[in-house]
Amino acid sequence: MGLSAWLTRHAAARPRPIVVTAPHGTRLRLLTEAELSRRGWRDARSPAGADLLVVCGTPADALTRAVQVVWTETPVPRALVELRGDPRPGRVATALDDAVGRLADARSQHLDAAGRANAPAPLPHPDSEGQDGGHGGEHDEGHSEGHGEGHGEGHSGGHGHRMGDPGGVPMARRGPDRDGLALDRLHVPLGPVLVDWPAGLVVETVLQGDVIQRARVEVAAGLGEERFWDAPWLAALEGRHVPRGEAARRRAASHLDSLGRLLSVAGWRGAAAESRRLRDRLLWERPHEGLSRGRAGAEVSRDFTGFARRVRRSRLLGWMLRDLGTARPAPGRAVPVPGDVAASLDRWLDETGAALEDLGDRSPLGDSEGPRGPVDERPSEELLAVLPALVTGTELAVARLIVAGLDPDLDQVRPAREASHG
Amino acid sequence: MREAAAWTPVALLGALGALALGAAVLDGVLVAGPRRGGAADPFREVARLLVQQRRRTLLADTLLVRTGVYGLLLVAVLAGVVLPLGDRPVADLAAGVVWFNAMEVCAWGALWLTGWGVNSVYPLVGGYRFVAQGVAYELPHMFALITAALGAGSLRVGDVVAAQRGLWFAVWMPVALAVYLVSAVAMAFWGPMDGPVAPDIAGGVRAELSGPDRLVFQAGRYTLLAVVAAAAVPLFLGGGAGPVLPPWLWTSLKTVAVLALLVWIGYGLPTVRMDRFMWLSWLVLIPAALLQLLVVAIVVL
Repeated sequence: MGLSAWLTRHAAARPRPIVVTAPHGTRLRLLTEAELSRRGWRDARSPAGADLLVVCGTPADALTRAVQVVWTETPVPRALVELRGDPRPGRVATALDDAVGRLADARSQHLDAAGRANAPAPLPHPDSEGQDGGHGGEHDEGHSEGHGEGHGEGHSGGHGHRMGDPGGVPMARRGPDRDGLALDRLHVPLGPVLVDWPAGLVVETVLQGDVIQRARVEVAAGLGEERFWDAPWLAALEGRHVPRGEAARRRAASHLDSLGRLLSVAGWRGAAAESRRLRDRLLWERPHEGLSRGRAGAEVSRDFTGFARRVRRSRLLGWMLRDLGTARPAPGRAVPVPGDVAASLDRWLDETGAALEDLGDRSPLGDSEGPRGPVDERPSEELLAVLPALVTGTELAVARLIVAGLDPDLDQVRPAREASHG
Repeated sequence: MREAAAWTPVALLGALGALALGAAVLDGVLVAGPRRGGAADPFREVARLLVQQRRRTLLADTLLVRTGVYGLLLVAVLAGVVLPLGDRPVADLAAGVVWFNAMEVCAWGALWLTGWGVNSVYPLVGGYRFVAQGVAYELPHMFALITAALGAGSLRVGDVVAAQRGLWFAVWMPVALAVYLVSAVAMAFWGPMDGPVAPDIAGGVRAELSGPDRLVFQAGRYTLLAVVAAAAVPLFLGGGAGPVLPPWLWTSLKTVAVLALLVWIGYGLPTVRMDRFMWLSWLVLIPAALLQLLVVAIVVL
């Protein structure tokens, strides 16, 4: 116990978190990401690689189940942090410190592991049975990582042992693919728990190899009202006084958030981190002595110029993003979809640069043009509507870039829409 | 085959371990940002994975996964035995260049076995990606290796070093060096060729690995990166040749420089997708490597 307790304590000081965000939990996510970046904690890519699960916001049913699955998939030592309700920056730091304490407690982690070995097998969700004909090797609806897996003795329980199905898991059915091969069809949900993925988004896909044959959008809802990115414009629509500079700050931060996500999905870790640091400085850096808010804004603006130049100058990035997601949406759509993913990148860089010029503007905000379009029209609903057509027929890597290029904000999506699925 | 001293295998393991750890430390510093304690992250990660539960996926083929995970580290070390530490390698094989390449190719198998064996979508997709990547990088890689061997007129790594006494191969076969570095990064599935373990598929091949399995996989990955960086030194950068300092120190310095360059590139460039890279590989890299081979052949004749 001596050595393993020492190792546990040593490792606990810098956990590898995986952050799950519920719709309307954006503010908490941003506070958490800023705090994680300040501490220099490196995030995990999958539950297997994580030891800290941070849930931002209040998940509704489907997302709660997904979080539970992720939690059972996280190996011991592990700690869970649930951030909901009133978001104060200090609270996030305290919660993370507490988690470090729990991770370092070798004794209780040991009990967790022991309790787990004796726990009854988790029941599969009722809707994981008898989906459309080709229900593949992948089950577990709402399952974060979308692999047909459990913990050995785990999830096979409810499926009934069909003849010829190893371990009671139905074999994948085959079907012709785009290259004329007969490949397994796998039913894989992308999201809701996936790094650099819009909070609450689930894309139910049928995969052959790594090519998406069919896609359908669902929403794993969160409880709450707040639409963090649209807040200044919504307040202005309600007749409150909002300075233009405040809205510009929010717009720039929103685009930097989208840029950080896109760059991260594109595998450019350096630029993604840079974008997110700029975002955090815009949102949370408090003016202190000798540094007015305007001056701080000017510094961000200067650093952004360098960042934007480096990103635009990368031919490799341009080559990778060009011509992705250019399929046209159905006619009659209100919101035009930006050209390709490279065009999204350009637009975000342009608009961020322009918004950073306006940080000092104190005149009242009079329009409703939020970061993703007119806030009262909820443009993300349109983005979700065109998403399946854009990702169908693409490889997983391309699909992820397309989703990152659209970057829908599910805080904008009305509950009615959520109810229409399921 | 000349006899190597008994301590050389120990020295090789020590050197590879130190290089792999150094690469992980540098990566940690880059990721965490300056002065945020990233340098210690690899050590904490080792501690964490040593005490972490090993999780199993449903219907995983454990034998295949273990073969892949442990095989990756094994072939990385085996590829290193032909590389001279100072003046001589652990095993001075007559066909050392071929041995090096053969061991590297086994990494291909190791990664695919891991991706396939865990019975899970994202690792499987990572496996697919590495197979596609192999189709793109393997031929240019072999041509680059053969160019160095042709320049020396021998497949023995020691002879390749000796042939550079007057002039480093890097100077008069720069295309081969460039092709080697690009393909070496792809071989070690390191950024910008890190598609098989990319974040967009939740870490790809290693998405389901935890505990000791993950530790060994990560060790294998960094060791492979260290080995491909170290191989550039005897093949193109004159081996231990250099003024004043002893050969082993020159070898180390050059290796560290190449390795640091690769780690930094991995952090500073976006991931190259094989659907786009494939044509570049077949229409630019392979012809360029062949032309370089032709030029070297004419010069040697």
